[in-house]
Amino acid sequence: MKNNYIFNLIGLFFIVFTSSINAQDLLDKLEKEFPDKPVYEIATFKTTRIGLGHSIETRKKGALELAIYNRYWNIPNFEGQRFLADVVSTRFGLDYAFSDNFTFGLGYTNHDEIFDGFLKYKLLKQRQNSKKGFVSITLLQTVSHRKLENTNGNIYNQTTSSDDKYGFTSQILIARKINQDISLQIAPTFIHRAKNPLTEDPNNQFAIAFGGRHKISNHASIVSEYYYVANPLKTVDTYNVFMVGVNWEVGDLLLQFQMTNARNFVEDTFVTQTTNNFNAKDGNFHFGFNATWVLQTKKKKLR
Amino acid sequence: MLLSFADFNKNENQFIARQGQVTFFSYTSVENIEAKNNQVLSILDTDTQEVAISMLMRAFVFKKDLMYEHFNESYIESDLYPKANFRGKILNFDTKTSEKQTKIIRGNLNIHGISKEIDIKATIKKIGESYTIYGEFEVFVNDFQIKIPPILSSNIAKSISIKFNFQYQHYEE
Repeated sequence: MKNNYIFNLIGLFFIVFTSSINAQDLLDKLEKEFPDKPVYEIATFKTTRIGLGHSIETRKKGALELAIYNRYWNIPNFEGQRFLADVVSTRFGLDYAFSDNFTFGLGYTNHDEIFDGFLKYKLLKQRQNSKKGFVSITLLQTVSHRKLENTNGNIYNQTTSSDDKYGFTSQILIARKINQDISLQIAPTFIHRAKNPLTEDPNNQFAIAFGGRHKISNHASIVSEYYYVANPLKTVDTYNVFMVGVNWEVGDLLLQFQMTNARNFVEDTFVTQTTNNFNAKDGNFHFGFNATWVLQTKKKKLR
Repeated sequence: MLLSFADFNKNENQFIARQGQVTFFSYTSVENIEAKNNQVLSILDTDTQEVAISMLMRAFVFKKDLMYEHFNESYIESDLYPKANFRGKILNFDTKTSEKQTKIIRGNLNIHGISKEIDIKATIKKIGESYTIYGEFEVFVNDFQIKIPPILSSNIAKSISIKFNFQYQHYEE
């Protein structure tokens, strides 16, 4: 009688045991059923700009980005008392994504009176768990036209022709999302500006941009950028640009706060024409505040 | 005992859905969010009356692309938890009847790496040799440790309603 009872118990145990194995088994079976599709990394950077310069990110088709970039700084020994900061420079920008990989943008900076435009094309996307697609690569071409003379203006030879006031920047943006929190970017940069016959300044300059982000929460990250210029201007002392800041995402609104020595917004100006170093001296310290609003003009239909 | 061993490695009582549909909705006065996944996998075992469901979070499609990025990056963290799954048992499942039956499926739902026991009311229809299971239920964002910053709490509902629809065919490996 007692034996029978134990036997029943063992039997019951086996039934429970096998059925729980079976459920696990079903999930394991499903695991094998997933199609082997490539998974691309998303959000290597959450913004299309790391801070000063572009990131590899482009928006999806139909996205319109409205952006206001502000830079605040002081004039050393300035006698007046302006509100907030002695100088405020603002770039108004508008980017539109024609496709998931192709973006076109325009901007105007009020302080240095520069119009700029760019084309951005996403060439390669980093893949997850794959040897292919080790990095993401995006190509960037910008054009800018300035109304004012160069910051290194030559008073003996004021350029009057409009042709001399164009600047071109080509960048190959290469980035890798190392893990969930850390992304790094390196970007060989070529800048062409019109020739100035009286100075020895190169009109073709090469630079390398380094950038990175570290996520501190799901909505905020610390970002930094540094631009190394291989052949700087000869007639004025220029410094390599550095930026450290915080990117914060609030739904459709992306906010960027930064400390930098860069005064201008367009690549061909700030990379090669920054005449102050990164420190806290009056006139050298620049505070940046960018606000970008992403508007989806095309909505997907859920089938 | 013998019986329980016998149903090992037997597939004729197993059915698979390869294009199951799962849709979720978040309704708030600020914003409505809707997303759909058309590639949800599920297996139904009519012998043990068990169901297993598995899906890739990255396969959800949103009306707005930015929501897709936020969902995967900031909320569900699909790099860390790429899949959501469910396994459970249909209580009092009548596998023979071809009439529509509404049953409770009791099991474990795993989202965002958090497992939670749940009862789901589902409607089951047997059409010929195949089954259809569909239904709707609610989950609380809080239960799965999905953090919503206070500034955005009015944009995302505290309770998310989930609809599902699976059509099962005979499973062949």
